[in-house]
Amino acid sequence: MAEIRKIKVGTASCGLAAGAGAVLDFFRDHAGVEIEEVGCIGHCYAEPLVEVVTDAGSVFYRDVKGEQACLDNILALGETGRLEVSPSRRKYEMLKVTRLAGRICPTSFDAYVAEGGYGALKKALTMTAAEVVDEVKRSGLRGRGGGGFPTGMKWQFLAAKQAEKKILICNADEGDPGAFMDRSMMESVPHQVLEGMLIGAYATGADILFIYCRAEYPLAIKHIRIAIDQIREHGLDVVNGKKLDIIIKEGAGAFVCGEETALIASLEGRRGTPRFRPPFPTDRGWNDYPTSLNNVETFANIPLVIGEGGAAFAQVGTEKSKGTKLFALAGDLKYPGLIEVPMGTTIGEIVFEVGGADPDQVKAVQTGGPSGGCIPKELFDTPVDYDSLNALGAIMGSGGMIVIGTDRCMVETARYFLDFTHRESCGKCTFCRVGMMRMYETLERIVAGKGEMSDIDFLADLGPKIKKGSLCGLGQTAPNPVLATLRYYKNEYIEHVRDKRCAALVCNALVDVKLDPEKCVKCRLCIRNCAVGAISDDFVIDNAKCTRCNTCIDVCPKHAVARVEKGEGYYAE
Amino acid sequence: MPNEIKFKIDGREFTAAPGETILEVATRNGISIPTLCHNQKISRTTSCFVCVVKDKRTGKFLPSCSACPANGQEVESSSDEVRDMRRTALNLLLSEHAGDCEAPCTVACPAHAQVEEYVRAGRRGDFKKSLKIIKERIPLPLSISRVCPRFCEKECRRNVYGKPVAINDFKRLAADLYYDEYMEDIPVENGRRIAVVGAGPAGLSAAYFLRRLGYRVKMFEKMPKAGGMLRYGIPEYRLPKAILDREIAHFFKMGIELECNRQLGLNLSLDVLKSEYDAVAVTIGCWKAGSMRCAGEELALQGIKFLERIAANDWTGNNPGKTIVVGGGNTAMDCLRTSVRLGSDDVTCFYRRSEEQMPAEKLEIHEAKEEGVKFEFLVAPVKLVRNDAGKLVLTCQRMELGEPDASGRRKPVPVPGSEFDVEADTVIAAIGQATDAPPGLAVNRFGDLDVCEHTYRMSDNVFAAGDCVTGAATVVEGVAGGRIIALGIDGFLSGREYRPEPVVNVSRGHWQSLRKEDLVFLRQDVSEADRVPQRLIPIAERTSTFHEVAATFTPEEVQSEGKRCIECSCTAKGDCKLRQHSQEYGADPEAYKGARLQQGYDNRHPVIIHDRMKCIKCGTCVKICAEVVNKNLLSQKYRGFATKVEGLFGRTLPDSCAECGACVEECPVGALDWRFKA
Repeated sequence: MAEIRKIKVGTASCGLAAGAGAVLDFFRDHAGVEIEEVGCIGHCYAEPLVEVVTDAGSVFYRDVKGEQACLDNILALGETGRLEVSPSRRKYEMLKVTRLAGRICPTSFDAYVAEGGYGALKKALTMTAAEVVDEVKRSGLRGRGGGGFPTGMKWQFLAAKQAEKKILICNADEGDPGAFMDRSMMESVPHQVLEGMLIGAYATGADILFIYCRAEYPLAIKHIRIAIDQIREHGLDVVNGKKLDIIIKEGAGAFVCGEETALIASLEGRRGTPRFRPPFPTDRGWNDYPTSLNNVETFANIPLVIGEGGAAFAQVGTEKSKGTKLFALAGDLKYPGLIEVPMGTTIGEIVFEVGGADPDQVKAVQTGGPSGGCIPKELFDTPVDYDSLNALGAIMGSGGMIVIGTDRCMVETARYFLDFTHRESCGKCTFCRVGMMRMYETLERIVAGKGEMSDIDFLADLGPKIKKGSLCGLGQTAPNPVLATLRYYKNEYIEHVRDKRCAALVCNALVDVKLDPEKCVKCRLCIRNCAVGAISDDFVIDNAKCTRCNTCIDVCPKHAVARVEKGEGYYAE
Repeated sequence: MPNEIKFKIDGREFTAAPGETILEVATRNGISIPTLCHNQKISRTTSCFVCVVKDKRTGKFLPSCSACPANGQEVESSSDEVRDMRRTALNLLLSEHAGDCEAPCTVACPAHAQVEEYVRAGRRGDFKKSLKIIKERIPLPLSISRVCPRFCEKECRRNVYGKPVAINDFKRLAADLYYDEYMEDIPVENGRRIAVVGAGPAGLSAAYFLRRLGYRVKMFEKMPKAGGMLRYGIPEYRLPKAILDREIAHFFKMGIELECNRQLGLNLSLDVLKSEYDAVAVTIGCWKAGSMRCAGEELALQGIKFLERIAANDWTGNNPGKTIVVGGGNTAMDCLRTSVRLGSDDVTCFYRRSEEQMPAEKLEIHEAKEEGVKFEFLVAPVKLVRNDAGKLVLTCQRMELGEPDASGRRKPVPVPGSEFDVEADTVIAAIGQATDAPPGLAVNRFGDLDVCEHTYRMSDNVFAAGDCVTGAATVVEGVAGGRIIALGIDGFLSGREYRPEPVVNVSRGHWQSLRKEDLVFLRQDVSEADRVPQRLIPIAERTSTFHEVAATFTPEEVQSEGKRCIECSCTAKGDCKLRQHSQEYGADPEAYKGARLQQGYDNRHPVIIHDRMKCIKCGTCVKICAEVVNKNLLSQKYRGFATKVEGLFGRTLPDSCAECGACVEECPVGALDWRFKA
């Protein structure tokens, strides 16, 4: 048997949430080999994950528990519980940016350096600043936060500025629900992000580096903070002969603060609301100093760009979208988690091959977070790049990708996303503040079975106006979930409104609940668990009392209880 | 200049200095672009998006308050698409903006009298000013204050808790005190002459406003005296003739002429009037009685003819004996109560629907009952005969309520076999009134005169208003029609067609949907007292004489009623930019219905009211206080639809506010304003 050198436990947030903390403690106390904390390798569905490093290579174990039997199996390099990565995932994934994620200890400077870390910075320092900018331009790297603006151009603007101070900001205010690319990078390889920033500071002549990170990411902040201390120890924070100010700012949780001008306002201590551009931040940014903002993932790409050279970097990807992209896969699929694929991979390849979703069970995919749009299965051969997604009414966004199963209601899905965005509007622009509320109210009416046909026209009329009449990306994209579902699933809206019917049996107001006596074994679990006493002693569900909470459906061992179309259920009185 | 930027707005080329916004260039060149949040005193806010223009090349909409033009740029500011975007922005703002532009009483008044203003003047004891405000819309305050069904009071916000302010009594006292002495400014005659046919409420009102517009006016009246239904329909005990005479005397003082006993089609020719006068106003009313539609109805008296005869005889008449009045409107009530006063001790009202459905004023029904009138509901006449003893026998049928009919009321349907007979000395049919249109005047499908809905013009130089256009209505509606006809004629004769100004009135909602907490109290001394009760003469005097039943309030009573007025209209109704732009762009407060934030108001500051329900969240006040006043006392709080302006850190304004009023002056709506109304 191969000799075990080390056991690595994934303790990024996803691992910790699944119980990696207990695994770590137990293994430290009982394993008798070196235990190392690492970040996330992206297979979040399999957490807690441990990697057993042996002299003959690594073996991964999934769903690990902090208990003796599990440890014994791992120490014996048992066959059970091993993580099997599907060949199709191996085929389509390309781990470049996330190469070190989950493989090295995030809080170890030496571990990062041992893997070639800070080599790119060293290389950059041998070039002129202009050469670095040119290299980034040559790479074709575009902003990974969703805007897709060429990073090299942005840096060139900043580099050209003569100012008392220049500012470089890392936008780590990852706000899309279900997106966790940036968090994972900061938790797993904080030095890679910082290396990108230091190269940026060198290229642009920046004096102050901000990392604006949402406060809901305590582990990421902790790791970045440790990494900053380490680069200071090693003197890497002196660039262009200047000692850089590197400052972490914890965001207070406003989605809109991911927008650059709102983020800057928040950094300045003001209310986080966007302002009209121009002037762009590279002209007037933080406290009026020229400022460049780049996303975490963008910065994490920079060491690759410099390390392998812009031209080599540009070998991967499509004509206008270069390199790889991280996606946070979530929703109705087998392998939710973080993936990295080359730009231009099709949605189908991501969802089915990498994500393992069942083609028969998938209806659509939502890209770009809550303000993105849905893409129906029929269009899954679309390659993911900035321009192809825009053409479909969706957006690349920062990389959230939510798979929507066939059992989902698209109207309810749109309502769900608008519930988020209408609350997160900063309240400045009339169209976004009031318009989103009016759209949301209309959707609420429709899913409650109180919609009118004119409501559909209203949504289709107001949505584009909100997009046109809003200052920032939030308002300019917030109606997308409605407009995209109206574009591809208008029939569902019409059914809800005209027929008062939800074909997916999702909308509570449009369904009944019914118990099938044929299947029922009279175990009374449903009766005991019903919170409102809607189920009689002879197993009849009174839909007048039922709140459609689904508890009976969930507890029934025989699947005898089900949602049915409105009118099919029993009503007392 | 080398740095000048040349660009186009709506195809016209303009030059901008570097840093100048599209809005600034437009304003400098006299192009009006609406904006609510833009304010030169503060840094750019870019919030309202009412100022959008469209970039023709990119198709993008730009907030012109913040966008600087680029060389060669072309923007649209007046295209339909841009106007639609602006209207949408205004509609959205209106949908979250909750206040009462005008007080509901003012909106409810058919004549659009400035009710809140005359009530305020009355509260302050300035009854002369009160009368002046009233007479801007109501030329017959002595009469209307006695007979009006008080549309205003039905909508009064005080209904939310308790009884409405006794608004009509402000008119009555002000008119009783100062009607004879008050004389409006009468312009010299402009040389044009108008004939008014029919000197009832609409005709008198038309004459009044036409005279005030400079026309020479002559009224022609078919009856021996002016007043129309005021004189011949409304009984003495509601409107004494002496008071009506006082009212009409003022018209002569104004120089209005009157010729009585002239009836259109009889001894007055429309063609002659049309040629001899610059315009003719036809206000001939509804004098044709409706039919009972039963056999023998000719044996019954017609309600309005009965009242007319009694009025003409100066309130002397025979005791009608046992009397049955068929009908449930105000004319029926007048016939019933007149019969009581003529000495009958057995007076009954027969009405075919239920009491709730009676069209008569509740107060009238109540007072009739007090005077001993009996009521039979759900009864319809079938036939009327005179028996051998000389008595009338009315055969009736019981009814029950069926399905709702076109009017929305449940239709009465006969109960089979329920016929019964009643004996009576007098049967009066007060079923309704119709227009008796003279030949040559076009009528609509209701038999009323057919007019243009805006100008009240019929054809050529003939206009019409009042009951003969609307069907039998109230005095105040007749007066309102008289004013429109005056404006219609004035527009016609000055070569521009009269169109009412578009008015946007935001409302907090009907009072039935509100709680006391939803009302905004500008004054802390709004009285919680009960409404001053109407003083009536003793019941014995009411049933035996035609003396006026209700007494005028004393000045003290009126002033104490005035203290009950909440003054609900917006402090900024005159200079609200949201209202102005909404009117200009045809925005509609009802366009987008949805939730409004119940954010309440703050009247703790000694002189400033902060009504958050009206706030459009532009943040101008916040910036003014921070950037101009250098105090920074205000802040915006929360996100999205819940965004609101508050004192910094939730503090109230009075803490350290210097009352400089900068925020008040710059608030584009009435969210921050001075607390007291002039």
